[in-house]
Amino acid sequence: MAEPVLSIRDLTVEFDTEDGVVKAVTDVSYDLYPGEVLGIVGESGSGKSVSMLTVLGLIPQPPGRVVRGEAIFEGEDLLKAPAGRLREIRGGKIAMIFQDPMTSLNPVFTIGDQIAEALLVHNPGMEEEEARRRTLELLELVGVPFAERRVDQYPHEFSGGMRQRAMIAMAIANQPKVLIADEPTTALDVTIQAQIVEVIKAAQRETNAAIVLITHDLGLIAELADRVVVMYAGRVVELADVFTIFNSPRHPYTIGLMSSLARLDADQERLEPIPGQPPSLISLPPGCAFHPRCIHSQGREICRTEVPVLRSLPGEGDHVSACHFAEELVARDVRVGATSGGGA
Amino acid sequence: MLQYVVRRLLYSSVVLIAASFLVFVFVAKGAGDPLAPYYLAPNIDKEGLERIAEAKHLNENVFVRYAYWVRDAVTNQFGTTLLTNEPILPDLWRVMKNTLQLVVVAELLAILFAVAIGVYSALRQYSVFDYTATTFSFLGLATPVFWLALMLQVAVVQIYLHTGHRIFPVANLNSVDPGSGLSFVLDRAHHLVLPVLVLMVASIASYSRYMRASMLEVINSDYVRTARAKGLPESKVTMKHAFRNALIPLVTLVALNFGALLGGAIVTETVFSLDGMGLYFVNALNVADPYPVMAWLMITATMIIVFNLIADIAYGFLDPRVRYE
Repeated sequence: MAEPVLSIRDLTVEFDTEDGVVKAVTDVSYDLYPGEVLGIVGESGSGKSVSMLTVLGLIPQPPGRVVRGEAIFEGEDLLKAPAGRLREIRGGKIAMIFQDPMTSLNPVFTIGDQIAEALLVHNPGMEEEEARRRTLELLELVGVPFAERRVDQYPHEFSGGMRQRAMIAMAIANQPKVLIADEPTTALDVTIQAQIVEVIKAAQRETNAAIVLITHDLGLIAELADRVVVMYAGRVVELADVFTIFNSPRHPYTIGLMSSLARLDADQERLEPIPGQPPSLISLPPGCAFHPRCIHSQGREICRTEVPVLRSLPGEGDHVSACHFAEELVARDVRVGATSGGGA
Repeated sequence: MLQYVVRRLLYSSVVLIAASFLVFVFVAKGAGDPLAPYYLAPNIDKEGLERIAEAKHLNENVFVRYAYWVRDAVTNQFGTTLLTNEPILPDLWRVMKNTLQLVVVAELLAILFAVAIGVYSALRQYSVFDYTATTFSFLGLATPVFWLALMLQVAVVQIYLHTGHRIFPVANLNSVDPGSGLSFVLDRAHHLVLPVLVLMVASIASYSRYMRASMLEVINSDYVRTARAKGLPESKVTMKHAFRNALIPLVTLVALNFGALLGGAIVTETVFSLDGMGLYFVNALNVADPYPVMAWLMITATMIIVFNLIADIAYGFLDPRVRYE
């Protein structure tokens, strides 16, 4: 495979709170390759977004704190980059689309102003007129009709789907190398979600950016992702290409996620939930953080005492899993149609 | 927009008329007969008092008296005072001008300080500066205006007694002989220092709290994070994206407060014996003369209505989501 465009190693981030230290992400490592869509899935609070926000220097410090790790982008460790350098990269080579388009746009500036601002800040010397022309192109690219007129409207005059299109236009304004989409469709209704997926695909064709797709919607993952990182309680528990994740997951948590999906190809009376609650990130269970909910642990000692390391599985190429008993899970058939919708 | 303003003013005039009637009844009935003390005095000409009662229709019922007042207010510039038969409007203009000077200076300075303190407190939340500002704000809010005014007077007088220096005058708007031109302006400014200070304390205390709270809310909002994710420098993130949004609630508060203050800073003007709206109102009320009280009310109520409207219009300019049709 080619050189990764972004390489995260052993990233550990903690937040100091009044209740104690929240271990938001622990020893997270993954690579992002040019042109691919890397899905990051997990429950709320599993650390999906924090790793990406940290890379961009967008977590407030304090209370946030990078304990260790590195994030190599074009040969440079972003975690050690000075604030000014990070600012150049943000919205330039690495851009972000946020979850809630209703609150992510500034209500007092026009859509056009906000997109043009992204252009102007990264292209010193660009004329206002040039920025406006480019803004119109971007709005047309993401499918905002009557761009000429809508460019001067305020966010409240846009629907949710249209706002998210504007957010995407803003994110791809400077031809980013990496596009981070943090729950890009979660706040939208289902028909609009499908449209936004198309816009993201179009945006990728246009910019050839590598996309990090952070979501808990496995349907969206099946639709867009090439490879998938599964996170649980701040750690990566499994990483594989999207077909492998859906067809032969090798971590009990991933298996649980797949079993809890609604399926169109089977007659199901009830969905099968994962028992229990996700653990508090302040007091993680000893050993494997998933063991209290795991149906495969079956009271085995090692699950409670040793944190399983992420290891590649023999004979399965790039498939890695952080389960002591990953090999035992091979036999289990959990095939889920790659087109099934629904969230985790 | 124009249509909206006209409609609002029409609604307001109804409110104004209703308010004028209610207050007239309260003052005319509640304060008793304004001439009563003089009937008891042995050395006052009773016929003169009866002539006044006749001329001012004091013996008619309250509705008729109100009607006469409306006639005077409309055709004769709020009419004349009860006992001395002096025209009311010239006095009212004079005190209004004085109050305006006091309030405008105090509020402009207060806004300047409060916005700076509030924004800086929010950006450095829980810093030493923030805690200090918070402490002083609460002190400022908790201090009664009359007490602060008196303490300042005491302090200035003590300094005079100990050192022989009069740093600030403690009463009145001008010296006995203020001169004219620049020396008049300087004399006035010198006299206004303490009252302005007193008014500023309360305003800074409350405005800075509002500014801090609304700035804090805004800097943690999603669109400020978007601005950061865009790669904008921090100064632009806070001063452009956050500041303008944070200012919106403060504008309303200031406009409303300003309108109310134009009715006179009653306590401050009384303690410093400043010839302003507040003192004028208190004096008129003391002699139970409904005519200057009514004139004062109409001016003050109009001010409050106008500044309410200004607050709404300003809101529309700052926040594009608010549009008036």
